[in-house]
Amino acid sequence: MSTIAETGSRRQTRSSMRVDGWRWAGRIFLLLMLLYTAVPMIWMLITSIKSGFAATQFPPQWWPDEPTLASYRKLLDPQNSVGQDFLRFFWNSLFVSTATTILSVIVAVPAAYAFSRFTFPGRNFLFFAVLLRNMFPAVIFLVPLFILMRAIGLVNTHGSLILTYLTFGLPLAIWLLKGFYDNIPVQLEQAARIDGATRFQAFIMIVMPLSTPGIIATAIYSFIGAWNEYIYAYTFLSKNDQLTLPVGIQRFFSENTTDFPGLMAASFMMSVPVVVLFLVLQRYFVRALTEGAVKH
Amino acid sequence: MLRNIWAHRADYAYVLPAIAVMLIVIAYPIYYTVELSFYKTPPGLQLRDKTFIGFDNYTTILTSEVFWKVTWNTLIWTFGSTFISFVLGFATALALHRDFVGRGVLRAILIIPWVISAVAASYIWKWIYHSDFGIIGAVLVGLGLADRPPNFIDNVSTVLPSLIVVNIWREFPFAMIMMMAGLQTVPDQLLRAAKVDGANAWQRFWHVTFPHLRNVSVVTILLLAVANFNSFIIPWIMTGGGPSNASHIWITHIYELAFGRQRWGVASAYSVLLFLILMALGYFYVRALSGNERKEGRA
Repeated sequence: MSTIAETGSRRQTRSSMRVDGWRWAGRIFLLLMLLYTAVPMIWMLITSIKSGFAATQFPPQWWPDEPTLASYRKLLDPQNSVGQDFLRFFWNSLFVSTATTILSVIVAVPAAYAFSRFTFPGRNFLFFAVLLRNMFPAVIFLVPLFILMRAIGLVNTHGSLILTYLTFGLPLAIWLLKGFYDNIPVQLEQAARIDGATRFQAFIMIVMPLSTPGIIATAIYSFIGAWNEYIYAYTFLSKNDQLTLPVGIQRFFSENTTDFPGLMAASFMMSVPVVVLFLVLQRYFVRALTEGAVKH
Repeated sequence: MLRNIWAHRADYAYVLPAIAVMLIVIAYPIYYTVELSFYKTPPGLQLRDKTFIGFDNYTTILTSEVFWKVTWNTLIWTFGSTFISFVLGFATALALHRDFVGRGVLRAILIIPWVISAVAASYIWKWIYHSDFGIIGAVLVGLGLADRPPNFIDNVSTVLPSLIVVNIWREFPFAMIMMMAGLQTVPDQLLRAAKVDGANAWQRFWHVTFPHLRNVSVVTILLLAVANFNSFIIPWIMTGGGPSNASHIWITHIYELAFGRQRWGVASAYSVLLFLILMALGYFYVRALSGNERKEGRA
């Protein structure tokens, strides 16, 4: 009797020790991943509050002797040319991203709803055609799109970017939203139809409000995608006052190659809107992204 | 069939805007790329002067030395980034699965690199790798591991691994999010039952958790592979493909051929080859996804 209890308790200790081993391994691993993730971002912030002289020291100043916000002031000052450019790029990015987001939602909502609810001929084919778009890199489309945009007079306008980002974001938007519609019971709509609502009314009054989280997620995704897009903007726009932030910053710092604090400050400010948006709305975002790939 | 389509005519109205936009911006460019790949094109975009040359562009590509160099780089880049991102993301998801204080904050911090622009990420890392004032070089010198700061991105043998590190930095969070969601679908009862039966942590992972995550793993890996195969910004901003093509991958190479050297025909032929490879990958992607759909249908 006592031997059994003894072996039992010994086994208990050994297995709990082993569990502890895994848990410690997990903690150390997480710490390393945190360092890998955070150190570059922290170094960006520290560099951005240095003077140009302090940034180019060896060994580096781990913390600047004289922290300064000069780089930020320069970028945000509408009086000097650097600030004018930066603020204009920022505004351009905001305009293009917002327009793309609104249009994406307007186009993706009915499409996703149809893919989720109706069984029309060719539905599967169209759905996979939409998804397959995700597979192809921007470069394949660049030359013909450039020619197309030139033919319809959109080169050097924000319209070319909005139209392109729209299609480039649509597949994922449709996929995300379809996941949400799949989870809304058809019975709710049927009840509304019995009460005399048309299909369209049922869609607007019942389905739309229920899919708000999905729409928010789709909107964030479109916005972040458009905000960060580089290759089309780099190819389609050549006028300085039209550029969006990623291209604008590149253009700008290829002329001022040694202004590292300025570059880091600009990178930081370019990241702020999307990171804030993401942090505030992350539960929608994460849920939507995984909805299609994981079945509950 | 036709009557069936007609009977559903109202349904098409919902998808029409999406399809119309896609046709203009996707179908037409694909057609045009295929056409151009058979032509010799003059520089500049005066494409009316093109002449038909059959498969010459393709033979030019396949017999050039740069092609094989770039293909090899692309393979290392794609497999290296995908594999390591997936493993790191999966491991992080497992480590984050148990609740602890600060878990939400930690998760949010780990996802940030995925949200910020690849252009910003490229500049941040370019500064970190800087050959005179970079922080990594300074740490290595400080620890006595190097006499002088190593030059990571101007060196033929270190440039590609250095860029892969940046790419993984941006991509492992995606794998992490997907796998975290997957982990939530593993039934607790099964894990507890396995524990009662005396399975240790590793056995529980390998025999219960992992088989459950097969589908989501396949989808995640495919999405990562496609994204990596198609990536452009990090090599383009950080090195522009250099030094001596050591960090050129397919996409940057095609871009340079088209917009740098204005060899539109050759670049189009490259794109068509790329397209064929992606169609093969796409086949597996659709199969993995429709596998999911079928299961859902049965459930």
